[in-house]
Amino acid sequence: MAVTAVPGMVGGRQPLPWMRKLEDERWLAFTLLLPTAILLGLFIAYPFVEGIFLALSDARVGDPGHFVGLKNFAKLWDDSIFWTSVWNTFWYTAVTTVFKLALGLWLAMLLNRHFRGKAIVRAFILLPFIIPTVLSTFAWKWMFDPTFSVINWTLFNLGFIKARINWLGDPSLAMTSIIVVNIWRGVPFFAISLLAGLQTISPELNEAAAIDGARPWARFWLITWPLLLPVTMVVMLFSVIQTFADFQLVYVMTGGGPANATHLFATYAYQIGIGTGLLSQGAAVSLAMFPFLFLIVVIQLLYIRRVEVR
Amino acid sequence: MLKPKRRSVIKLAGSAAAVASTGMAGILASGRTPAYAQQKTVHWLRWVDFVPASDQLWRKELVPQAEKELGMKINIETVNGNDLQPRTTAAIQSGSGPDLIMAFNNTTYIYANSVVDLTDLAEDLSKREGGIFKYCRSFCSDGKIFMSMPWAVPGAMISYRKSWLEEAGATNGFPKTWQEYRTVGKKLKAAGHPIGQTLGHTFGDAPTFTYPYMWSWGGKEVEQDGKTVAINSKETIESVKFMTDFWKEAHDEGALAWDDTNNNRAFLSGTISATLNGASIYIEASRKPDTYQTEKGKPMKDDIQHSPLPAGPAGQFGMHLMQSTMLMKYSKNQDAAKQFLKWVHTEKNYEKWFLSQKGYSTPCTAKWEEHPLWKQDPVMAPFKVAARLGQAPGFAGLPNQKAAEALSKYIVTDMYAKAVQGMPAEESVKWAESELKKIYSA
Amino acid sequence: MIEGAVWRKWVFYNIPLILFVFVLLFPFYWMIITSFRPDGELYRPWNAVNYQPFWTNKPTLEHFVYLFEETDFGQWMINTMFIAVTSTLISLFCGVLAGYALARLNFPFAGSLGTVIFVTYLVPQTLLFIPLAEIIRNFHLGDTPWSLILTYPTFLIPFCTWLMMGYFKAIPKELEECARIDGASRFKAMVYIIVPIAVPGILSAGIIAFTLSWNEFIYALVFLSSPEEKTVAVGVTSELIRGDVFFWGSLMAGALLGSVPVAIVYSFFVEHYVSGLTGSVKG
Repeated sequence: MAVTAVPGMVGGRQPLPWMRKLEDERWLAFTLLLPTAILLGLFIAYPFVEGIFLALSDARVGDPGHFVGLKNFAKLWDDSIFWTSVWNTFWYTAVTTVFKLALGLWLAMLLNRHFRGKAIVRAFILLPFIIPTVLSTFAWKWMFDPTFSVINWTLFNLGFIKARINWLGDPSLAMTSIIVVNIWRGVPFFAISLLAGLQTISPELNEAAAIDGARPWARFWLITWPLLLPVTMVVMLFSVIQTFADFQLVYVMTGGGPANATHLFATYAYQIGIGTGLLSQGAAVSLAMFPFLFLIVVIQLLYIRRVEVR
Repeated sequence: MLKPKRRSVIKLAGSAAAVASTGMAGILASGRTPAYAQQKTVHWLRWVDFVPASDQLWRKELVPQAEKELGMKINIETVNGNDLQPRTTAAIQSGSGPDLIMAFNNTTYIYANSVVDLTDLAEDLSKREGGIFKYCRSFCSDGKIFMSMPWAVPGAMISYRKSWLEEAGATNGFPKTWQEYRTVGKKLKAAGHPIGQTLGHTFGDAPTFTYPYMWSWGGKEVEQDGKTVAINSKETIESVKFMTDFWKEAHDEGALAWDDTNNNRAFLSGTISATLNGASIYIEASRKPDTYQTEKGKPMKDDIQHSPLPAGPAGQFGMHLMQSTMLMKYSKNQDAAKQFLKWVHTEKNYEKWFLSQKGYSTPCTAKWEEHPLWKQDPVMAPFKVAARLGQAPGFAGLPNQKAAEALSKYIVTDMYAKAVQGMPAEESVKWAESELKKIYSA
Repeated sequence: MIEGAVWRKWVFYNIPLILFVFVLLFPFYWMIITSFRPDGELYRPWNAVNYQPFWTNKPTLEHFVYLFEETDFGQWMINTMFIAVTSTLISLFCGVLAGYALARLNFPFAGSLGTVIFVTYLVPQTLLFIPLAEIIRNFHLGDTPWSLILTYPTFLIPFCTWLMMGYFKAIPKELEECARIDGASRFKAMVYIIVPIAVPGILSAGIIAFTLSWNEFIYALVFLSSPEEKTVAVGVTSELIRGDVFFWGSLMAGALLGSVPVAIVYSFFVEHYVSGLTGSVKG
């Protein structure tokens, strides 16, 4: 990334009039933001407003309905399945994020050194992240299948279990199984991004600390972790958003069953909106996700800002 | 009156953009320009058939033939059965999409506002073919209009291993009552091959078991008025209690969250002795007799038989997946689509498809019960009467929108699933009652 | 950096790493085995005597043959690739420009605009896809790759923008100022000085954007209808899951073939992604 060889930068032609306009920061900013604004305005702002209207109406499929105010939300307030999905979503997001971060960081540290086949390992570790979720979830479903589970076979033959484990049939285990798959999918993303962060930390810092007699654990907490924090927060932010709104994984794995034990916001919204055609209520469930998510994200953003200022 | 206005604004913006950016429009149009500008195109969305041969038949034979005879272009699209609903919803809301869409069960009532009345076609079919069964009629017609054209019923019957049931004492054919079934099931489980039945969130095998099971004990969701929730009855509680013990004693307890596919695999692998399913297990076993074998090394297909669900104190019931075809209101080719629909329901064309199903699907009219196909294979014979004996969800009311909502929320299924997981019977029934009340009082 | 005996290296580095690799890649091994297994072996319960989870004695190619002869799998791969690449490029273009503006230019409401762009990322897809279907109709984009190419950026741009903002902020202001003293316009300073430095950031945003669009399911399911227009995820699930019969072998073969080529491409980029980033921040 050399700065020296920049063609035609000094002297040269007289800039065109519109180019001169771009010298004004505001015009330049406006121009640069324009494509984004058009795309997002068209494909998000309008549908989003439409979605809000939907949630405030009693629309069902093929029937625009009337404005009913907050009635759909009042209904949700009394809906036990809704609260189950709220709780599930929080639990799911919290547990997976903690594990993804811890394991991702660990993996990143393991990868952050020289060994043979480094490039191949790094690339192949990304596989769980690359493969279309729907398809990898089918593979997991097959591995969890009570009748064919290779996991049960392994545990049994290693002597850990006496009878099979009913991975997806038991309500709490079903959630755990889904969490496991999500972690499996997310760790590579964390690891590679954190690895990128780790490499920006100059090894001299660590070496200096080592010479001063700091133990590895102290070196990690006092040097690596603070320097890694900004990257970590950004990665976590995106992961939390993705996980909170997760749909495909649960949809394929359990469809929200057994007995609604694994419903998340998105799957429940889908079941109501698409399954029963009550578009307005489905939209209300989707929309109810928004303030929760917004709150989490604001907290994270504020924290990031604090970290950056420091 | 806010809505239409906003819509038209977007529409305006849309056409403006389309005009402005001829570049992109050009790209979009390339290869898509109606090569059949003068010709009508009918887009038909169906599920991917359980029987692959039937999809082949459509693509390679019937569709080209129809195109030639009717002088139109026909796009046949197949998707996974689970994905029909999002497609239908999006199509209706955006006012464009397939002209003909396959509907499952009472989803017809969900889309009732957006379909074209097919009474003339349906009644004509009914007259020609000896009457549409009540079961099929109740899904397709709300008493005023035909929301869809009855297509067929892939029946749900218990597939079971003859030899294993005989070993367990069922010497006079399949058990006739739940009590008998439970006694046999206990021995089956003790012998290491229990009954497999899902109580999970899956559109096929779970409700087709739980609804008829409840009815056979005398339980019902609502009274005939279609308003009064009646599920919290002595009969329902009795059925839940029985199910809880029956489950523990005779069922594969891993099956709680099975989807529609798990029991097929479990059965074909020889781990379960009986399961409620379509004929797909038998069809798969006959397709590959060398692959699926019994523990004695004989083809498994020769050891499979089908039976309706056993009877309870209140009688014997069945509920099957009902498929029908909706003609969508937004369609610009309604006449052509009707023409095509009429064409496929012509006896000689429909028969080709019917034969390719080998009994997997039972047609909705009486005439087909006479068809020689049912005599060819005694194993498939029980499916002959599937459509005649079925009862629709929402009983004793209509299988209307509310019943469809209850069905898609898996309330009846979850009632049993909760009890099986340890919730007291009274409580789980009360839970179902409160959920149903929310639906029926709205 | 590693002090001490060889055993420490194994306990603290090699063994954990091997475990990680094993767990992360086991499902793929499982897919490979499943896609080469004859159907008969697929239907053996876990407690059967002849259950061979990790090996098969009679590998077969029939599932792959089925995939290519009976479905449009090749076409789906091309579609998915085209859609993912194009929507990634569009999103990167928008994201880099917007990220630059938000991170390095002074203008009113810069902060709140950044937040608004970010908030759009939070809007759940389940809420959007039905209203979006209407827009797709109005633009006559239904059943064309453009219906996805233009809608995927809605969740890619916010992401790219934010990532790029982070990278741009880390680049010292002086770099641009030097260039401007040398007579370059703002625009040129951006294109020739700042953007090249941010290439690693662009690469990593691109990798993630590409993956997200490669994975997408709902939009692809709803907006596309012809078999030959479908993407891998939608095509495979809609042709190989027939009611209650899964074509396991072909399904897994499709999943594998749908991810391995991308992994190979990634093996080139990952090194750039990781090591390049170092350079940019050190600047």
